[in-house]
Amino acid sequence: MNRKLLPSLLILGLSAPVLASDDWGDDSWGEEESASPQWHGFVETAVGGRVQDDPALPDEDLTLADLRAQLEYADYLGDSRYSIKADLYADGVEHGLHGELREALIDMSLSDNVDLRLGQQVLTWGTGDLLFINDMFPKDWVSYFAGRDDQYLKAPSASAKLSYYHDRANLDLVWTPVFTSDLFIDGERFSYFNAMAGQQTSMHLIPDQPDKGLDNGELALRLHGQTDGTEWALYGYRGYWKQPNAMSTGGQVYFSRLNTVGASVRGNFGGGIANAELGWYDGEDSDGSNPRLPNDQLRVLLGFERELIPKLTASAQYYLEWTQDHAALAANDGNSPYRPDEKRHLWTLRLTYRAMQDNLILSWFNYWSPSDQDMFMRPSMTYRVDDSTAVVVGANLFSGEQAHTFFGQFEDASSVYARVRYSF
Amino acid sequence: MRNLMRAAVAALSLTAASFTAAADLTDVNTIVEQANLAAYYKGNDGRSEARMVITDAQGRQQTRQFTILRHDEADGGDQNFLVAFSRPADVRNTVFMVAKHTQSDDDRWLYLPSLDLVKRISAGDKRTSFVGSHYFYEDVSGRNISEDEHRLLETTAEHYIVENTPKDPASVEFSRYKVWIDKNNMLPVKIEYTDDADKLYRRVEVLAVEDVQGHPTVTKSRVSDLISGGFTTMEFRFLKYDIGLDESVFTERSLRKLPRNWLRRPKS
Repeated sequence: MNRKLLPSLLILGLSAPVLASDDWGDDSWGEEESASPQWHGFVETAVGGRVQDDPALPDEDLTLADLRAQLEYADYLGDSRYSIKADLYADGVEHGLHGELREALIDMSLSDNVDLRLGQQVLTWGTGDLLFINDMFPKDWVSYFAGRDDQYLKAPSASAKLSYYHDRANLDLVWTPVFTSDLFIDGERFSYFNAMAGQQTSMHLIPDQPDKGLDNGELALRLHGQTDGTEWALYGYRGYWKQPNAMSTGGQVYFSRLNTVGASVRGNFGGGIANAELGWYDGEDSDGSNPRLPNDQLRVLLGFERELIPKLTASAQYYLEWTQDHAALAANDGNSPYRPDEKRHLWTLRLTYRAMQDNLILSWFNYWSPSDQDMFMRPSMTYRVDDSTAVVVGANLFSGEQAHTFFGQFEDASSVYARVRYSF
Repeated sequence: MRNLMRAAVAALSLTAASFTAAADLTDVNTIVEQANLAAYYKGNDGRSEARMVITDAQGRQQTRQFTILRHDEADGGDQNFLVAFSRPADVRNTVFMVAKHTQSDDDRWLYLPSLDLVKRISAGDKRTSFVGSHYFYEDVSGRNISEDEHRLLETTAEHYIVENTPKDPASVEFSRYKVWIDKNNMLPVKIEYTDDADKLYRRVEVLAVEDVQGHPTVTKSRVSDLISGGFTTMEFRFLKYDIGLDESVFTERSLRKLPRNWLRRPKS
C-alpha cells in the first residue's frame, strides 16, 4: 500500500459525516427530545498497563482491560421521571463479565417544594475538586486509579433523597438503608501497604460489613442556600468510615462508626472561584488511645480556580487532615513506624488547556503532600473526534519517599491507559 | 393653485424629512442601550430551542442542541439563563446556568449528570468557546454594555454603526469591535472584532429575523473565525416570550432535576 495514502485514509475514516449545508439533514426539530422514551449510551474499550512491575502482584501487568457498554433509558410516568442506566463490561484484569447498575431511580415531586428521588443513584455534594470532606457518598477508588472515566469515581448507592426547597434555604436528606462502602483498594487489582505485616501485600482485603438493620444505615443531610451568589452549606452524616480502617482484636478489618458535621462556602473571588470547606470526623475512639480504631479528625479545604490566559485554567487546593489526640495514639501504637502524621498537608494543582475548538483537552491534575512526601499525578489528553467518538490517553503516576504513605504505597500501581468511546 | 400644490408638497416633504431626522438617534449611549434591550431583553422572559452547527477549518462539522430559558429581573438589568443540552450524546442532560449581573461578576454553574456534580465556573472566562462552538459564553448571555466605551461612527440609511473599545483591554482578546444596528428594529445585525494588530479576525452576523409575538427576533446567526476559516451557525425555533418564568426556576433544583414544565415545547 502506498505509504502516503494511509494517513489520508485514516483522516477520512475518522472524519464526521459532513453535513450538506447548515441543515441537520434530519428533522430533529420535528420530534421533541423529551416527548418519547430515549435510549442512549456508549460502547468503550479501555486498556492500561503498569509502568513498572509490582512484586506483590507479579502476574498482573495490566491495570485496565475493559470492553464496556452502557445503556440508559429514561421516560416519564405522569410527572415523575424514571431512568435506568446499566453497565455491562468484560474485565480482563479481574477476569469476567460484570454488570453495574449505575442508576435505577424515580424522581417525584411530592409538593411544590418537596422532591423525592428514590432508587439506585449517584450522589455528590461539597466543594472539593477530587477531594471530599462532607461528601460521604461511595467512591470507587479502584476505577479512579485504573484510569476509567471520571464518572466511575462516584459509585452508586440505593438511597432515598428527600429535598425541601425554600427561598431562604434548602434541605437535602439522604437515607441509605444498607451501608455502602467505597470500592477501596483491596489487593486484587492494586496492592496496598499492610501496617501489621510491615510490607506491601496483595492479600485480598475482605472486611466485615455492618449488620443490616435500620440502625446501621447511613443518613446524610445538607442545609444549603445562596446569598448574593455565594453558596453556603451545612452538612451532617451518621454512618461509618467508608474505608475499612478499623481492626478487631482478632485482626479482622471492619468499618467503624463515624459521624461528621461540616460546612462550606463557594463564590466568585478575585476574578475566579474560591471555596472553603471543613469537616469534623467523630469516630468511636473518642480519646484516641485505641490504635485499632481511627482517631477523630478535623479536615479543612481551601481552593481557588481561575483562567490564567484564554483557554488555560488553573486551580489549586490546600487540604489538611488533622488527626486529633495524636499523643494518645503515639503512646499506644507500640511506637509504630507507620503512624500517620498529626497533620497531613496536601496540595492539589489542576491545569486545563482547551485547544482545537475544545476538541482537544489537555489536563494535568496532581496531589502533592509535603508531610507524607508523596505525590499522585494524573495527566490526560482527550480528543473528541466527532460528536460520537472520543479518545482519551492518560497516566496515573504515584511516587513517594516511604512505602506506607497514602499515595506512596501505590508507587507500583503507576500506569498508563487509553480509552476509545463511541456514544449514541 | 399650482403654488398651493407646490407649497403643500414642500410642507409634506418637510414633515417627512423632519420625521426622519427625529427618528435618527444621535446619542450613542441611547443607541447602545436600545440595541442591548432589543437583542437580549425581549418580553419579561422567554423560551427557545436552539441548535448549532460547528464547522472547523477543515470543514468537519459537529452539532449541539439545547433549550434556553431566560428570565429578566429588570429590563437592561440582571437576568437568569438556563441552558439544557439534549445533543450530542456526551453532553446530553448537561445544564448550564447563569445569573447575569450588571453591577458585579456573573454567577455561573455547570451540572454534570453522570457525576451528579454542580460545578461552579469562574466569571473570568466569559470570552471562551461556548460548548466548543465559535460563540463565546458572552455572545449567548450578552456583554455588559458598561464594559466598553461607545462611539457612533456613522448613521446610514439602514444602520447605526457603533465602535466599541474595552475599558479594561486586558480582560478581552479584541482591541475594538464595530456593531451595525438595524435602525428599524434596533437589533445588532453585524459585529466585527479587530485585534491589537488592527486585523479583523471575528465576525458575528444575523442571517434571519422573525417576528415573535410582535418582537423582531434573531432566529439565525453565524459567528466566523476569520483567521482559521471555521464558523458556527445557530438557529432558534419554537420561541415564546412571557411564558411566566420566575426566579425560582433558576436554582440548583433545576440543575439536578430539569424543570420539565418550562422546558417542554409550548403547544401554541
